[in-house]
Amino acid sequence: MYISGLVRKELGRLRSDKRTLILLFTIPLILIIIFGLTSGGGPSGFFRAAIITKDDMDCFGDFPSNSTEYDDVFISIFQNNLTSFGLETYYNVSNEFAYNNAYIECEQMLKNEIIDVFIVLVENFSETIENNVNTELLYFIDASNFDAIKSINVSMLEPISLFKLEIGKTANFSMLIPYLEFEVPFWESQVLNYAFALTIPLIIIGTTMNLSCLSIVSEGPLPRMLITPTSKKSIILSKLIANSLIMILQAGEIFIATAIFGLYCLGSLFELFLVFLAIGLCGVSMGLFISSISKTDQQANQLYMVFFIVVLLFSGQFVSVGSLPPSMKVIIYSFPLGYGIPLVLDITLKGVSIHFGLFSGLLIISTVYVILAYLSYLFKKVEV
Amino acid sequence: MKNKSPKNLVVNVKNLEVFFKKKQIINNVSFQVYKGEIIGLFGISGAGKTTIIRVLTCQIKKKHWKGIVTVTNITPGKKQNNSKILEKIGYVPQLELLNLYYDLSPLVNVEIFASNYGIKKDNALKIARDLFKILDIPEDTWNNPLKNLSGGEKKRVSMAIGLIHKPSVLFLDEPTTGVDANKRYDILNYLKKLNRKLGTTMFIITHDLEAALVCDKTAILREGKLLEFDTPYKLISSLASDGQLVRFTIENLDEKIIKKIKQYPLCKDISRTGNNVIEVFIQDLEQNYSNLIEYIINNNIKIISMSRDIANFRRYFQLRIKEEEEKEFKEK
Repeated sequence: MYISGLVRKELGRLRSDKRTLILLFTIPLILIIIFGLTSGGGPSGFFRAAIITKDDMDCFGDFPSNSTEYDDVFISIFQNNLTSFGLETYYNVSNEFAYNNAYIECEQMLKNEIIDVFIVLVENFSETIENNVNTELLYFIDASNFDAIKSINVSMLEPISLFKLEIGKTANFSMLIPYLEFEVPFWESQVLNYAFALTIPLIIIGTTMNLSCLSIVSEGPLPRMLITPTSKKSIILSKLIANSLIMILQAGEIFIATAIFGLYCLGSLFELFLVFLAIGLCGVSMGLFISSISKTDQQANQLYMVFFIVVLLFSGQFVSVGSLPPSMKVIIYSFPLGYGIPLVLDITLKGVSIHFGLFSGLLIISTVYVILAYLSYLFKKVEV
Repeated sequence: MKNKSPKNLVVNVKNLEVFFKKKQIINNVSFQVYKGEIIGLFGISGAGKTTIIRVLTCQIKKKHWKGIVTVTNITPGKKQNNSKILEKIGYVPQLELLNLYYDLSPLVNVEIFASNYGIKKDNALKIARDLFKILDIPEDTWNNPLKNLSGGEKKRVSMAIGLIHKPSVLFLDEPTTGVDANKRYDILNYLKKLNRKLGTTMFIITHDLEAALVCDKTAILREGKLLEFDTPYKLISSLASDGQLVRFTIENLDEKIIKKIKQYPLCKDISRTGNNVIEVFIQDLEQNYSNLIEYIINNNIKIISMSRDIANFRRYFQLRIKEEEEKEFKEK
């Protein structure tokens, strides 16, 4: 077997196909930029806020002390250079009448878009913090802007975190947003990192599969190669190696680009890279399989689209795998993203090591597709 | 004259029969080819030329053919044997698209194919440069993408690729197809030049009967049968009067006149080769030439000009195929 020459040939061909190469390396970059820069830099906007504190009002009930100092701290946090909030004004009310007036004023400001949110610190604000019980934080958002609801919910984490830091207490706040375990911290590129687990494996699979799906069917001189001592096995192997080398470069590029735009990874970066490579290998081998069973370029492109949609649908992101019957689970685990996405999530957000079973699943899938590609090419009628 | 000793026997085909799904494609074909010969395989479409070449180039599985076949003294069929044969033969397909990577340069193309034979890059480039010089491929195109080269240049690069590993036999499938008339002769000349310089045995499958000009031997195939296998000279000489013919330019030539001339008792064959031109084969041309002219004049046919000539391979091929068709018709 004269593999090295064939690999050089494959690389030469790939290099000469500038258009595909540019797409291969720019699409991931563009998507990462979109996710990472345009909307993914932590809190996704700057909001004007007003605060009404009722902390000075009498509170009745279960608390032994009658503290009032924490609302001032909370307000000062807003006054001092938050990246996501600026304080327009605040109201310190001591009775219900004053509160009603402040509320009406804030509502008016919200209506006039002078502020984006106003926050109400309830009567027992300081007491609940002092006694380490849940503190209620009410905030009113201009709900006509759907995006703002989500963004403000996320952004609220910033002043709360700074407030906790300032007072040295880990008081809880009962908020209308759920407290997320293993979440991407607010100071990280949240949109990028939440999109990361699905989009990056999907980009890698899609582009590598696209690159290799035409590699056999569109290569005119390939049948001629078989009138040399070259075997079909060498041809498939050389295509696998060459496309994998390109895939490694692409995965490297994605890795660097996501790091630049704020990759949040608690686990090992090396292991994450290995997962990328395994996912890419699946894409290459699936592409080779498509190429080996297709008779024309058009057929290969159509099959590619079918495979891509199936891979996406059976990624486990659109249906909860756990709730599926065993027969459906088998289908999901026949495609790479059923393994790839959990692996990426585990490494990046939970910081755990590569799950051997899931990683083996990826390698088995790529091996199966390479074998299928070889077999279908072996029995394919090739004539010069 | 090529040396016909057994050690110079490059291709030996004896009683070859090829079947596909019980249909017989090749019927009892036998021929021998010696080192350095150029063989032309002629025949109309479906004659079986390509099938024979596919057997010789290990493209048809053994289960589909029987008979004795050796290429460079190795019998195709087994995987190891095929591999050995493929190392010793070269192939130039009809379409350059099937042989060349258009986005890559001629040198890179050659290097790619050379690597399939285990030839190292430096050596491959050296051989490639030598071949390119023989084939007059302009040096300034060697490193440019092949798509920028002319059709003729691409054809020659394709030939160079077929020869990069210095094969014992080179198979060329329709080397002159798709090339304009004057370039056809160039291609044939290059083949002859390569044959002389490198001593490579060549098999040319072609519809182009002019290719016989460069062939040492020609094979004529029809419906899977080998009708003839000999030198063009011998084949032409087998015609009446050793292939000599008389060419007449006749005023107002029509079918009636042709029929009249055909009725000349010693006329063996007559072909219309132009609006007013016919070629006539007669028995013992030397003796009967003047009688033929007298016969034509006596029948009030006006001769504008006439000449004597030797039949070319095209004429021989036409007559031989016609003869076979008539024979077949009578048998039916």
